[in-house]
Amino acid sequence: MIDRLSALFPGLQASPFRVTSPADPNYNCIAWAAGSTADWWWPLDDVRRYFWPAGVSREISLPAFAAAFGALGYAICSDDSFEPGFEKVAIFADAVGTPTHAARQLPTGRWTSKLGQREDIEHDLRALEGDIYGRVVMMLQRPRT
Amino acid sequence: MATTPVQKPLPPPNTETIEQRLRRLEEQWKADTEFLSDAGKIVSHPAFRAIIALGRQAVPIMLRDLETQPSLWVWALPEIVGESPVSPGEGGNIRKMTEAWLKWGREKGLR
Repeated sequence: MIDRLSALFPGLQASPFRVTSPADPNYNCIAWAAGSTADWWWPLDDVRRYFWPAGVSREISLPAFAAAFGALGYAICSDDSFEPGFEKVAIFADAVGTPTHAARQLPTGRWTSKLGQREDIEHDLRALEGDIYGRVVMMLQRPRT
Repeated sequence: MATTPVQKPLPPPNTETIEQRLRRLEEQWKADTEFLSDAGKIVSHPAFRAIIALGRQAVPIMLRDLETQPSLWVWALPEIVGESPVSPGEGGNIRKMTEAWLKWGREKGLR
């Protein structure tokens, strides 16, 4: 799996990363960034198939993702630097600004991501930028409790 | 962008059973989408659409898989059978959706 991850995400070849969970289809990266392993978060309309926070617009857009994390106390911030008093989430998007992925900053300053149906990994934030997830386009933060 | 390269499903060999075809399509679908979170891209993948097109013959196979472990077959089943036993409050909870579909399968005599 390590070799496959490095092939799919070339940025992982040049920075340290480690797999921190087994593959699990029960939750995705958005859920994991939000602190949940119970649901697959995605803002499609079908409430019988996809979870999205109640009261937040179900549209595939950066404002909808900001609102979903806003419901958890996050607010948009300017950068991905490590600030011990804050927990940060990075939203990735493709070339046209469609959200693709989210990562959450750990208390160590490193980042954790759930890779679709596959594993969780601990990684450098920008190491996941590339063809699959695009690039980091939005940062959010909330006070770390 | 934002996806692993999507391959067009290969034409089925003439002697393929429904399960063999489903497994071949499943392998292709997972290879292309298992690193994605975008449920829209996952369910619109050509191999997933080809699995849906297998129709009700695929349902017992999917239910058998769900008995082993939760899976995203819970997104395929409502499209195949035209109904859903999942309550709106359980949408996205793959474990609870799996339980609902297994109960549905037992009630329909499919398991």
